[in-house]
Amino acid sequence: MNLRNVITIWKKEIKDTIRDRRTLFSMVIIPILLMPVIMIGMFKLIESQTESQKEKAVKIAIANEDAAPQIAAAITQQGKVEVVKVDGDLQTAVAEEEVDAAIIIPADFQELVVSQKNAELELISKSTNLNSANVSAVVSVVISNYNKQLLGKRFGAQGINPEILSGVTVVNRDAATAKETSGYLLGLLIPLFIVIYSIAGGQYTAIDVSAGEKERKTLEALFLTPAKRIEIVLGKFLAVSTVSLTSIVLAISSLYISFTYIGDIGGSMSAGMGATGMDTSPFNFSVEPQAAILLFGVSIFLVLMFSAAILSISIYAKSFKEAESYISPAYMVVVLPIALINSMPTFEPALWHYAIPAVNAVLLFKEVLIGTYDMGHILMTFASLIIASIFAILIATKIYSKESVLFSS
Amino acid sequence: MEPIITVKNLVKEYGEGARAVDDVSFEVGAGEIFGLLGPNGAGKTTIIRAISTILSFTSGKIEVLGMDNQEKAGEVRANIGILTTDIGAYERFSGRENLRYFGELYGMEKKDLDERIEELSRLLDMEAFIDKRAGKYSTGMKQRLAIARSVIHNPRVIIFDEPTSGLDVLASQTVRNFMQRSKEEGRAVIFSTHQMYDAEKLCDRVIIIHKGKTVAYDSVENLKIKTGTGDLEDVFLQLVATG
Repeated sequence: MNLRNVITIWKKEIKDTIRDRRTLFSMVIIPILLMPVIMIGMFKLIESQTESQKEKAVKIAIANEDAAPQIAAAITQQGKVEVVKVDGDLQTAVAEEEVDAAIIIPADFQELVVSQKNAELELISKSTNLNSANVSAVVSVVISNYNKQLLGKRFGAQGINPEILSGVTVVNRDAATAKETSGYLLGLLIPLFIVIYSIAGGQYTAIDVSAGEKERKTLEALFLTPAKRIEIVLGKFLAVSTVSLTSIVLAISSLYISFTYIGDIGGSMSAGMGATGMDTSPFNFSVEPQAAILLFGVSIFLVLMFSAAILSISIYAKSFKEAESYISPAYMVVVLPIALINSMPTFEPALWHYAIPAVNAVLLFKEVLIGTYDMGHILMTFASLIIASIFAILIATKIYSKESVLFSS
Repeated sequence: MEPIITVKNLVKEYGEGARAVDDVSFEVGAGEIFGLLGPNGAGKTTIIRAISTILSFTSGKIEVLGMDNQEKAGEVRANIGILTTDIGAYERFSGRENLRYFGELYGMEKKDLDERIEELSRLLDMEAFIDKRAGKYSTGMKQRLAIARSVIHNPRVIIFDEPTSGLDVLASQTVRNFMQRSKEEGRAVIFSTHQMYDAEKLCDRVIIIHKGKTVAYDSVENLKIKTGTGDLEDVFLQLVATG
């Protein structure tokens, strides 16, 4: 094999890619700017929504407020709650979102309390109204506290320690470290980004160097040179791989830098994760050097495998458009199962899962980002991806030798 | 005349025994323009692709400069220049960059390549646009670039496959002049066409192919005498009609 030919073709294809605005856009602009903007924008949106929800005063109507003024006062003291008067039917007022919720206090509330009977409050809310749900939570807390006080008084009057009311209490404590929590979050984003860019990053270059060459009528001229078919395929394949890998590095670096330095998105994520019971201390987006090396190493083989695959698919097409229509479904076939696995928090992979190309990369990325290094998983992933890459390159070379494919136009 | 190209009993089958080329034989010598004539779909491009090693064939033998083109495919390609029907160029590259890329793939050294590009640029009157991007070229400019690309490595054999189809009079004249010049330089030239006027003017000998088979193989003058016709177009029509 003449390496000079491989390098000549590789250099030419890279130069051609850099001069192609369309390819440059998908390789550089989107990874560097768009994805971080989308991701940060998404978190910022969640944060602002949460904040605005907190800030917004909810409206509540209380029937027979005078029967239990202490409850009405406690609800008002929760802050951001506005008690409004409603003349008509309360159920209708809630249904029409005139108020977010309504409480009907029985007229004989005080008598029931004094006679130590159960006083039943009716809470009308609307499940499709988010504010309504918030009012329910507020009222529940108020009633719970009121109950505690009331029962405390009753037990106290009988000489019983009110603490007997608290039989068992639960205190939440997250055993995950801040690094693990951050790694978990990164594990949701980075693996998917790497898989997406290992295909999408080099997609246009792959199409341009194969179907594009057919369409431009330059492929035959290239085959007429003394360069061997394997040299041509390798040159093109390395160009596609270079572009894909560059996209991944740019995308991940940009995302990482954005998360670390731009904007206070840690707060919004903490808020979101807090709801899941996770530690909500500030996120630490540091990635260990060995994790970064593993991410890069696995990404290389992922890129080699996908580059050969999309190059093989593209050469079947007679035109750029046709190639795009072949790659898009193939892309979905790969990305959808991976996205599914990526989003399954309870999925516990067995060793054989690490033998499935691409899936193994996602699983391994998730592990190393939370600081888990399982040699069996690492070796299985690398072995699987290396074998898959070699096969993919051999298949691409074979396809590039098929006359029916090359001269189909 | 020592043949530069020898094609012996060439057969190319596609699919279930359909023969695109059926037992075709001919020789082309140095300093000769050899016409490969036939209507569209006759098998001319298949023969050219087989000679240039990019298409396998079912049976027969092809030698270029004494080398078996299947055993020494790379060496054979290094000695052949082909101007194909479709004029393709890398449009985001200038003419010079296009030529440099192909020159490098033909194994040329930088100094020789730069000199050759200058020489061809002068010869084909490309100096005004050689450093502009090929995407902005007119058809005539592209054709000149395609010619330069096909001979950048100074090949002993040049094959022109329908080189003037779709070209205007001036661009066609450039191609014809270049073909004539190549002949005078002692190269073996194959001119594949269905335009009999050009073939009659340029070719020393011709082979007429119809439905993959040889229907005539001789000098233009001999064919006229044999068929009792006045020009090559009549020869062609008569032979194809009876073939």
